[in-house]
Amino acid sequence: MTINRRTALGLIGAASGAAILGMPSIARAATGRVVVVGGGFGGATAAKYLKLRSPDLAVTLIEPAARFYTCPFSNLYLGGLIDFEAIGHSYDSLAALGVEVVHAFASDVDTAGRTVTLAGGDSLSYDALVLSPGVDIRWGALEGYDEAAAELAPHAWKAGPQTQLLRSQLEAMPDGGTFVLVAPDNPFRCPPGPYERVSLIANYFKTEKPASKIIILDAKDSFSKQGLFTAGWQALYGDMIEWVSRTDDGRVVRVDAAARSVETEFGRTVTADVLNVVPPQQAGLIAQRAGVTNETGWVPVKPETFESQLVEGVYVVGDATVAAPMPKSGFAACTQGKVVAAAIIAALEGRAPPEAKWANTCYSLVGPDYGISVAGVYAVIDGAIAEVPGSGGVSPADADGAFRAREAQYAHGWYRAISNDIWGTA
Amino acid sequence: MPTTITRRDAIGLLAGAAAAPLLARSAAAQPAWWQTIPAAAALVGDAQPSGQGIAIELPLVSEDGSAVDLAVAVDRPMTQDAFVESIHVFARGNPSPEVAEYYFSPLSGRAAVATRIRLNQSQTVGAVAVLSTGEVIAAARDVTVTISGCLARDDTYAATDIMQTRVRAPERIAPGGAGEVTTLVNHPMETGLRTDAAGTVLPEDIVRRLIATFDRATIFEARFHRSVAANPYLRFFVAPPRSGALVLRWEADGGRVAEERLDLVVS
Ligand SMILES: Cc1cc2nc3c(=O)[nH]c(=O)nc-3n(C[C@H](O)[C@H](O)[C@H](O)COP(=O)(O)OP(=O)(O)OC[C@H]3O[C@@H](n4cnc5c(N)ncnc54)[C@H](O)[C@@H]3O)c2cc1C
Repeated sequence: MTINRRTALGLIGAASGAAILGMPSIARAATGRVVVVGGGFGGATAAKYLKLRSPDLAVTLIEPAARFYTCPFSNLYLGGLIDFEAIGHSYDSLAALGVEVVHAFASDVDTAGRTVTLAGGDSLSYDALVLSPGVDIRWGALEGYDEAAAELAPHAWKAGPQTQLLRSQLEAMPDGGTFVLVAPDNPFRCPPGPYERVSLIANYFKTEKPASKIIILDAKDSFSKQGLFTAGWQALYGDMIEWVSRTDDGRVVRVDAAARSVETEFGRTVTADVLNVVPPQQAGLIAQRAGVTNETGWVPVKPETFESQLVEGVYVVGDATVAAPMPKSGFAACTQGKVVAAAIIAALEGRAPPEAKWANTCYSLVGPDYGISVAGVYAVIDGAIAEVPGSGGVSPADADGAFRAREAQYAHGWYRAISNDIWGTA
Repeated sequence: MPTTITRRDAIGLLAGAAAAPLLARSAAAQPAWWQTIPAAAALVGDAQPSGQGIAIELPLVSEDGSAVDLAVAVDRPMTQDAFVESIHVFARGNPSPEVAEYYFSPLSGRAAVATRIRLNQSQTVGAVAVLSTGEVIAAARDVTVTISGCLARDDTYAATDIMQTRVRAPERIAPGGAGEVTTLVNHPMETGLRTDAAGTVLPEDIVRRLIATFDRATIFEARFHRSVAANPYLRFFVAPPRSGALVLRWEADGGRVAEERLDLVVS
């Protein structure tokens, strides 16, 4: 994992380092303006590495929030292990690097005229555009689950007020209550996320509300790192967590947020004290406005560069894209941001893009001292993104407690490292 | 003239008269999807299938080939005079391309089904519909199958209560209307293609049929093959002419059967 991540960085270094050193073979240095929409894992990384590797480039990052709260580690906050501010990051270090950070919402893109319109009415022109808007909830796709319902039964699938609302509901829940998490079908942001979430909520219940129960109603018959999670739940929480597969009638078809109840496909009603609905998702709205989404609501990209397959000059990274087998993770978005920075600099310099490699490791905490992971390295093989054979894998099923504790430490190390890499904050 | 020329060169070189046989040849080189599957070709026979009025829903990219949601609907009236008799689903890239067949009657109300299928690689999935008038409709969709990085799954079958069924139907169906029935039966759908740890082939063991009768008359039947996902799942329509009993009967290998009876209310 570490080695491959360094390889990816090395590639970018090679690509744009050449421009900085003014090597004779380079036709021209990258100049012009790149606009990046979205200051999360993909966008902030792209902005940073564009500026870092090509200081003459004007790089504008558009992000409404002055402070970015990460979904990674938000489950630790929900489980009471860390403060909310521990997952917040400012854009100060990006600004210090020379990235122009504009706190606004991008409302539209004119890809023919190459301009981005901000919600206030201003518009910005670009030579290349990067979109990393993350996901939007498909309101109403799950019957009864709209924005009003989310105020009663939070999704907490974008970190912020939703996450705090869910935490306050968990704190207010009496001992002996039932926490129900509704898990969506693939594809969705962070495949292991729902299962890490129930793990850390179980850890909170175990110490604070031991008579409570957790039910996961799933639209799937299997889930990420299932064997490892299930074994960990058994070891740490006994039978507190019940997972209901799609076949066992776990698929929720209707939500009654006011009653905190849900109805399953075959007509069962399940009532919760705290109801957390992880709803169906799609690429962030701006991707639609830019015309880069297809009928699935996600963005198909050219594998080598992550340029849109549909619109030239628009690069898209992160959760919004169809990058499978790369998962919708912060780690993947970050390496995609680096690859896109290299590809854009190459394009502006009139060179072919460097060969791309991406990496991903998803750590999940089953308990505070019990970590598990899945890792992979990805490359373009036969014209499509594919996992490099033999590059990845999951934590061993039979590891001992010391191994799990070390992986938990690695998870913390990973979080500090990636936060520092992207926002300069750890 | 060189003996090997690329197609683009050929089109550029040979204008006019020569272009016609060339195009004919390239059409022959690229047969319709159903011509490439013997069972589908046999079904279509001499008919000239149109692609109109049939809709296939599949994800463009499936992140789990072991259970891919598929829906097929043929938008044609279902009357005694003319109705959709059957829909046949094929997955060209699977070890055996026949996936399932669905037989309808005018009391089906709608020729539409939804199920979950196995796709062992990226490929073309097609459906052929045969109408009581002899008309044939065919369409296909491409689907990319990729196991997503965080989704590494094992293929052990966990359910213990094999042949347990679930059924849901509307509480009430309006006269003349159609109601959707959702059903599922627990079953591993062992393909006969897997081996156990010792290398022994696990024998094929699947659910073969689901028969739906209304007041004892068969109104819908589904036939399954090994490419139907474990725990066969099916949604289909019924248009009962009056209140009455809907009986669903599943038949699996080893003589195993399951039956469910529902009282449908038409009012
Ligand atoms: C509970 C949970 C746990 C997770 N844990 C992990 C983990 O441990 N490891 C991991 O790697 N991943 C994890 N993830 C996944 C990770 O959060 C996402 O994959 C990652 O955030 C994707 O990055 P992104 O850039 O695509 O989107 P985001 O990081 O969400 O960034 C999108 C940004 O774009 C902005 N934006 C959107 N539209 C506009 C617009 N029109 N104008 C301006 N700005 C806009 C948004 O405000 C947002 O700041 C987790 C996710 C969840 C939900």
